[in-house]
Amino acid sequence: MRNVPTVAANTFREAVRDRVLYNLVFFALLMMGAAILVGQISIGIEQDVIVSLGLSAISMIGIFIAVFLGVALVSRETDKRTLYALLAKPVKRWEFLLGKFFGLVMTLTVNTAAMAAGLYVALWSVKHPLVKSDAFLLVAVYLILLKLALIVALALLFSCFTTPFLAILFTAGIYVTGLFAADLRSIKAVDLDPRALRLMQGISYLLPNFQNFNVMSAVVHGRGVPAAIVWQATLYAILYIAIVLTGAAFVFSRRNLK
Amino acid sequence: MNRRASYGLLLGAALLAGFASVWSLQKRVDAARTTLGIESDELTLRSPGVLKKLSLEYAPLLGAIYWTRAVQYFGAKHYANDQNLDQLWPLLDIATTLDPNLLVAYRFGATFLSDSPPRGAGEPDLAVKLLQRGLAANPQYWKLYQDLGNVYYFDKRDYLKASQAFEAGGKFPGTPSFMKIMAAKIAAEGESLETSFALWLDIYQTSTNKEMRKNAEDHLRLVQAEMDIREIDKAADSYEKRTRHRAMRISELVQAGLLQGQPRDPDGFTYELSEQGRAEPNPKSPLREEWMRDKGIEVKK
Repeated sequence: MRNVPTVAANTFREAVRDRVLYNLVFFALLMMGAAILVGQISIGIEQDVIVSLGLSAISMIGIFIAVFLGVALVSRETDKRTLYALLAKPVKRWEFLLGKFFGLVMTLTVNTAAMAAGLYVALWSVKHPLVKSDAFLLVAVYLILLKLALIVALALLFSCFTTPFLAILFTAGIYVTGLFAADLRSIKAVDLDPRALRLMQGISYLLPNFQNFNVMSAVVHGRGVPAAIVWQATLYAILYIAIVLTGAAFVFSRRNLK
Repeated sequence: MNRRASYGLLLGAALLAGFASVWSLQKRVDAARTTLGIESDELTLRSPGVLKKLSLEYAPLLGAIYWTRAVQYFGAKHYANDQNLDQLWPLLDIATTLDPNLLVAYRFGATFLSDSPPRGAGEPDLAVKLLQRGLAANPQYWKLYQDLGNVYYFDKRDYLKASQAFEAGGKFPGTPSFMKIMAAKIAAEGESLETSFALWLDIYQTSTNKEMRKNAEDHLRLVQAEMDIREIDKAADSYEKRTRHRAMRISELVQAGLLQGQPRDPDGFTYELSEQGRAEPNPKSPLREEWMRDKGIEVKK
């Protein structure tokens, strides 16, 4: 287990070296542009747009990084053949995977925290002073981070047994399907076999429900998020990530790397 | 100049010429499309439900974008004096479905829809529908009751429902006493210039938006002119009773002591008496056109 922090730290360092954090410049420009422009072209939604645009950008940029870097975590090491040198040392395969996971989550945490700080600056520029309800933004950012961690875990799992291109497709597909998990449960199809309907409903509970992490609608309008939603989403993310990483470790440990 | 610099210069000139051609070509394309009558503000996807699904988890952002589109659409049509606002309702419908808590879209959207042309779309029924939807999604937001009351009062002239809306909004803790006063006043008097003035004055005093305040100010000027005209007509009626003939000039009413002095409208122009001896705004006054439109009199340009 002691190898995990070392692999994680190296993964983080590698991501920073790869100029992953350059996206922050794009985010800063986007927020500045929005802060200046929205007041001119719309009515009464300066604050709403800053918050919804900021949170959407944090989420979208994060998803982009989580999917593409998450998939590359294993495949790049294999392609460069650095994985063989690493696994020749006393590093277990599951330790390598866990280290990679935590390294990317660490990168995403730094990235998300920087964007959240930028969001607060943009918000302050359109309405100052900030008020107590603006603190709810942090809850939304925290839940986005949980979602990103789950996506990283899924990307890692898929990259353990398929090509990078397919792993990206599978991760993106699961993410989009997961957003509609609740809708699958409420489908009222007249001519669908009841057994098939039950099966679909069952599957909908097994899919990662990404809407569990979505509190944007409430936060944009300054409404608080009940504590129960936060701790339940946290528990859900931990549980799901643990399942996915266990699966990934299992697949990776049996993978023939020759 | 060496060869490399010459190539650079040539490339720069080629790029410049290329962009100039694109610029010019785009202008021609725009002109051609205008003659084809293709509306750039055509809504491709009109189903709010489908759009909400397609927005994934970014519905609030998309809602804000559609609200901005609605504002831009309304503003552009207003600017171009185009009274065909048939896309306004679909845009507001989509914006409020994507984000049911987007209060500003209900409040301003209802004003855009309900105001009679050329100020708005002249669709008070849709404004009521929008506000009722807003109240269903935001039942604690009493200001939507005030907006509903205003639409019923000014545009639908349904004084019973206007009074009921103000009364319902007035029941929330912390609402200003104005709501209850208006409910009682409208229930007792129906339409009156004093009530209209009070309603617009409240909008003017409480609105933080520039356009909304301007709209309220315009209405206040008009209502003030109506009240002045009513007083002048009263004086003219008294004059007629006293002298058995109708006054043809306001100065006659002043000389008879029925008016303190030459009354002026909110823009500083004196009122005039028509051929029938009824008061009306001065032909030079900016208020006259609006007043005539309000009275259903044809405006000659």
